[in-house]
Amino acid sequence: MRPSTIPNNKKIARPLIILFWLGVWGGVSLLINREIYLPSPIRTLRAFIELSTTAEFWSSIAMTFIRVAIGFLVSCLAGVILGILCGLNRFLYDAFNPLAITIKSTPVMSVIIIALIWFQSGQVPIFVCFLMCFPVIWTNVVQGVKQVDKRLLQMAKVYKVDRWHILKGIYIPSLTPYLMAGIITSLGFGWKVTVAAEVLSSPKYSIGGHLYNAKVYLESPELFAWTSVVIVLSFAFEYLFKRIAANMTNHSH
Amino acid sequence: MIRLKNIYKAYDDLVVLKDFNIDFEDEKITALLGPSGCGKTTLLNIIAGLEAYQSGTIEGLADKTFSYIFQEDRLLPWATVEGNIRFVLETRYDEETIRTILNKYIEMVGLEDYRTYYPNQLSGGMKQRVAIARAFAYPSDILLMDEAFKGLDMELKIGLIQSFLALWKKDRRRVIMVTHDINEAMDIAHDIYILGGRPLEIKEKRAGKNK
Repeated sequence: MRPSTIPNNKKIARPLIILFWLGVWGGVSLLINREIYLPSPIRTLRAFIELSTTAEFWSSIAMTFIRVAIGFLVSCLAGVILGILCGLNRFLYDAFNPLAITIKSTPVMSVIIIALIWFQSGQVPIFVCFLMCFPVIWTNVVQGVKQVDKRLLQMAKVYKVDRWHILKGIYIPSLTPYLMAGIITSLGFGWKVTVAAEVLSSPKYSIGGHLYNAKVYLESPELFAWTSVVIVLSFAFEYLFKRIAANMTNHSH
Repeated sequence: MIRLKNIYKAYDDLVVLKDFNIDFEDEKITALLGPSGCGKTTLLNIIAGLEAYQSGTIEGLADKTFSYIFQEDRLLPWATVEGNIRFVLETRYDEETIRTILNKYIEMVGLEDYRTYYPNQLSGGMKQRVAIARAFAYPSDILLMDEAFKGLDMELKIGLIQSFLALWKKDRRRVIMVTHDINEAMDIAHDIYILGGRPLEIKEKRAGKNK
């Protein structure tokens, strides 16, 4: 097979694969035949369409989106700044590393419960998202800084380039691929933990709050519809950032 | 005049330089010729301030600025031809001056059509040309070169040496170059120091063909 035909095949194959799994889902739900355990894809789609006509649906998505965005942006900002500082300074790295490892190994549920004690319901998901994404981004940025080509730094030293331009011209571009990898990993993660935190903190408008209500009232089709919303949004973001990452690192290899 | 007096440099037990003395005259190209691994690069890095030495004195380097053409091109892979030269100018010049300098030197090395190309889109010879343009574009008092033409094929090397000399004639500055190639040293340099031994010593001083 010529390589040029592969992308074409892939384009045809992907919808077929998705269709196949939707078929499996439909088949299993037919077999079980109890909506409460496993609603069919069609029933889920209907629930989704019903939901999408309500203003509540869109404000909930918007609010959850805003929480993910804030938590995520703050963790990016903190991760990049602290990551660069810790990458450059051994002492700072040694000081911060145990903290990052501790956060990474803390169960998400513990973080959520602690956050529930500390914050108001709307802020809990933001804090949880930040705390879960931050160590991933921090670790990647530190690694990126440490991988900087020493020979380029030597060149900049001879030419007496100042710190700011070294940061902008050497450090930032060489850690960008690492940062992007960290962003993509933590973004999917960020969605999941934010929604999980919303389930427990139940802010007024939130996807997680609706998941919780759907569970309480045993509305499985709604539960599945809301879950697919999270999955689709998470996929969409990952795709978007992968495109951005591909553009940004185009020329570095 | 740059004068190195009684320089001593050792890596642990390995003494590279001991009681080493050498003079470099103004506006001349001096070649340091010697076998690979004899300590020539160390000497160059000491002059550039990239490596420390344990004792001795260096005169005539106060407030001097350096350009350095390394053995590898050392270009920023994520910056264009322009961006790479701009990188060493940004700290000291305003945008207008940078533009003027960029235009002048990119033209001098014949890369006008490649301004927006990235290093991975250029051949090895072109990349080294960018490194040469960067070295001249930077307002240095002393230009250091470490095997700058190594690993290029003969034709390319001759072409690059010619463009280097053409640039130097228009923009004369003191050059200290390190090489293990006697022909290269003869073609480019005014003075040639033949170095060897451990610790490093000057075996012979000769005049090059460049008059």
